[in-house]
Amino acid sequence: MLPEIGHFALIIALIAAILQAILPSIGLIVKAKMQGSFALTQLSRPLLWMQFFWLLVAFALLMNAFVVDDFSVKYVANNSNTNLPNVFKMSAVWGAHEGSLLLWSLILALWSVAVSVFSKRLPTQVVNHILIILGLISVGFLLFLLLTSNPFERLDIAPLQGRELNPLLQDFGLIIHPPMLYMGYVGMAVPFAFVLSSLLRGQLDSTWLRWSRPWTLVAWAFLTFGITLGSWWAYYELGWGGWWFWDPVENASFMPWLVATALVHSLSVSEKRGAFKHWTVLLAITGFSLSLLGTFLVRSGILTSVHSFAADPERGLFILIFLTIVVGGSLGLYAWRANLMRSNNKFALLSRESALLVNNILLVAAMLSVFIGTLYPLLLDSLNLGKISVGAPYFNAVFVPIMIPATIAMAIGGYLRWKKDQAGRVVDAMIHITFVVATITLIAYLSIENIYVILAIFLAAWIVLHSLLLLAQRLRQKGKISTSFIGMIVAHIGIAVFLFGATITTQYGVEKDIKMKVNETVEIKGNSFIFRGVERFSGANYTGNKGAIEVLRGKQKIAILKPEKRQYATGMPMTEAAINPSLLRDIYVALGEPLGDGAWSLRLYYKPLVRWIWLGGLLIAIGALLAAFDKRYRRKRRT
Amino acid sequence: MSLYIWMVIMLLASVLWLIWFLYNPLKIDALDLEKSNIELGRQKQAELEQDLQDGLIDQSVFAQAKDEIAQVLAVEIGQTTTYPQQQKSPTIGLILLVAAFFLIAPLATYQLLTSNENAPVAAEKTPTLTQRIADINQRLAQTPNDAKAWRLLGFALFESNKIDESLQAYQRSYQLDAKNAQMLTEYASTLAISQNNQFTGRVSTLVREALEIDKNLPDALYLAGWVAINAQQFELAQKLWKKAILLSKNKADKAVLQQILGELLQLQNAKTPKPTDAKKSLTAHQVTIKVALPQRLLKPEFEEHYLLIYIKAAQGRPMPIAIQKIRLKDFSGVVVLTDDDSIIPSRKLSQTSSVIAVARLSKSGSAMRQASDIEALSPVINVADNPIVNLELK
Repeated sequence: MLPEIGHFALIIALIAAILQAILPSIGLIVKAKMQGSFALTQLSRPLLWMQFFWLLVAFALLMNAFVVDDFSVKYVANNSNTNLPNVFKMSAVWGAHEGSLLLWSLILALWSVAVSVFSKRLPTQVVNHILIILGLISVGFLLFLLLTSNPFERLDIAPLQGRELNPLLQDFGLIIHPPMLYMGYVGMAVPFAFVLSSLLRGQLDSTWLRWSRPWTLVAWAFLTFGITLGSWWAYYELGWGGWWFWDPVENASFMPWLVATALVHSLSVSEKRGAFKHWTVLLAITGFSLSLLGTFLVRSGILTSVHSFAADPERGLFILIFLTIVVGGSLGLYAWRANLMRSNNKFALLSRESALLVNNILLVAAMLSVFIGTLYPLLLDSLNLGKISVGAPYFNAVFVPIMIPATIAMAIGGYLRWKKDQAGRVVDAMIHITFVVATITLIAYLSIENIYVILAIFLAAWIVLHSLLLLAQRLRQKGKISTSFIGMIVAHIGIAVFLFGATITTQYGVEKDIKMKVNETVEIKGNSFIFRGVERFSGANYTGNKGAIEVLRGKQKIAILKPEKRQYATGMPMTEAAINPSLLRDIYVALGEPLGDGAWSLRLYYKPLVRWIWLGGLLIAIGALLAAFDKRYRRKRRT
Repeated sequence: MSLYIWMVIMLLASVLWLIWFLYNPLKIDALDLEKSNIELGRQKQAELEQDLQDGLIDQSVFAQAKDEIAQVLAVEIGQTTTYPQQQKSPTIGLILLVAAFFLIAPLATYQLLTSNENAPVAAEKTPTLTQRIADINQRLAQTPNDAKAWRLLGFALFESNKIDESLQAYQRSYQLDAKNAQMLTEYASTLAISQNNQFTGRVSTLVREALEIDKNLPDALYLAGWVAINAQQFELAQKLWKKAILLSKNKADKAVLQQILGELLQLQNAKTPKPTDAKKSLTAHQVTIKVALPQRLLKPEFEEHYLLIYIKAAQGRPMPIAIQKIRLKDFSGVVVLTDDDSIIPSRKLSQTSSVIAVARLSKSGSAMRQASDIEALSPVINVADNPIVNLELK
């Protein structure tokens, strides 16, 4: 009976979302002409809280079905079994399509509740408008859930045992990566709702610009954190030692990230100087539309990827229709209200506004390069024009060159003044540090042959030194240093750390796929890898082979790494790499297949500075959060 | 507590919540949009001055920037619209309307979404028949009045060749819910098999009842055709099967129906409409199975054992298509399986192609294979060749 209650809770949540969109709208339209219109407009929050409560009930009941092994629920039977450890039973709730969509809806309601509770500086009626838009988005997702993806669907005959949760997902990474990523994805609905409500009200004013920025920053922070976690998870769980594969689904999360990056910068200009309003509106619409596009790519079945869910054209069609309504409707609204976005605020070619505009254009161009590389092969395939593969060579050739000037402009922007600046002053301000960067690059050029590494050293030094100098200047002026400013510095340094780590690990990483016999030794970068053999072992719901590789540096033992090759009860194989991590390098070993005569195939990787990639991501996310919690956004309201 | 009581509690709680906030709307903040924009305009002015102190804006454009902030504020104030203010509570009519909608809409949606769940949804990994029967029995132990479960049990037992037990399960389902046309059809079909494919008596009653509930149910029309054949009403049988072909969505079923309809028409054209021969004349093929027994199985202790000789599909369900069950002491060494030995009328031996012949010696005679049974299987054979198969039980 509990699954039926869960299903019914979802239906009540849907009705609450529908009313959340309709009743306050009626109140706002009829205004004082109807008795009770005020009460109707004020229903948006109670209805939202109700929606959130029932979604929470549904989610808890689905989790309960997993924990108690209720295999009469089809979703549970297909994604869990009695041998699965409890922690993975709980995380299996979002391990496949239906449950992850429920999590998505719950997170959307959570964001909406956060807006309703923490928007105390926003006038109530503005919040009501925003909640109407968020309610409409909830209606779309709840309809999708109930019509095509009911997680509580029952089996007429319950199997005695469920199927295996994808072993890739039986990992700590699954517990946190999807919720964090969804927080980012769904969070993009908030700036979208802010924009749409402003367009509906016909008031693209300072209130919208000021208060949508912290929400955008928080969503961007979660998106950054989610993508970073995904990269880290792929690195240690997939057994390939890679951290980014330009997988279409990775790209689907990266595209909204690039747009969100542009949006937080564009918002800062719009907020302070009243410029770029058109651009900001379009970026907010594009950011959320790309989130929906990502959902379509993952859930329609047109992609084959570690991320994609089962093929289902019906689901794909639903999201495509939803995407069309959202994009078409919001662009239509944008066109209708375009006259309200005129701005007389002028700025010179050499100004902070120009630098941020260049930065924005480059970020959007980078997004378009990823967009084309991701969708073009799918388009060709769907039109039966042949299959082509677009991978790392394309993205390295197109995406990277766009990002180099964007990185250079990023550092310069901080030195430019608003509205108008003088070239001489900027040169004076930057000349010393530019000289230091040039010297470092020259030394690198003389001592290193690898051009990519030299470029990475130049860019990292350029960003870090300029950021630190900016901080030093601000400290010297004894002016107020805002958290927003510190957030910017931290995020920019995060970019440098990421860029340096990614380049070094790509260029200087060593990968060896080799055959090793027991007690055989292989040397990699001064480390000796001695293969000590393989033993059988068993876990809670799998058996397998566990290898032992002793790693020595000189005569000093660094670690004994024990990579595993697991065979799950359902017959699914799984590689568990063994890693000896450190901030400067990772030693990574994955066990392959037995090759006879006691020999095994092994993958041995030496990955210098690979951790810097995720450290960089973490710094960007922290920077975004610092900026979001700036004092300006926490200022008490005057009454 | 039943599900519906829970649903009512959930709805009442939601409606009470809603009515509470309709009568006691959340208070509106003192801050309206105009005040908010004015306050933000002031803040922007202050930030601009701070920017000037920090050297983030040039003195030459400071005044211009300050003017722009003022201009923006003026435009924003001009755009401000008014919103409903606190006033009397909504009318009782409005409250009742909202409450009624909230009570009806979820129930109607639930009904709409669950009404299509009658068809069993197969798990991707199909459990074995024994597992399924055990599962259903477990379900019945908790809800003994679940007509749907009794029907599923009847079907699973039929699949396991436990015809008598299957009939009991269908009878129970019939007692609990006699208005399920599909169940009535399955019940009638199973009953007909138990009485050597005679579509008379209770079978015809059940088929009639099924058609009274759903006159367009293809399976019921198909059985009604056989009832008509039994009653020598060939024209009626022809009509019923033609209608069944039109209504059937299953290609395989359509093919079978077209085949038997074609043969019926041929029979009618040949003016040999002897009803009792009609079904027999559909029998076109046979499989001859010779079974060799080793000396040790010829001992008296095996005399009462059963020899099950049957044909099953080379791929798909393991259930026999045609079978003979003989005591070992009565076995002559050869068995000829024909359509008369078919288990299901709709699945005659002649209608199959690639099959496997099986000989199994069983102490219990159970249709389900036991651990102590001795079994021999043939390679894949084609029924259309009227093959002769040699099997040896070792």
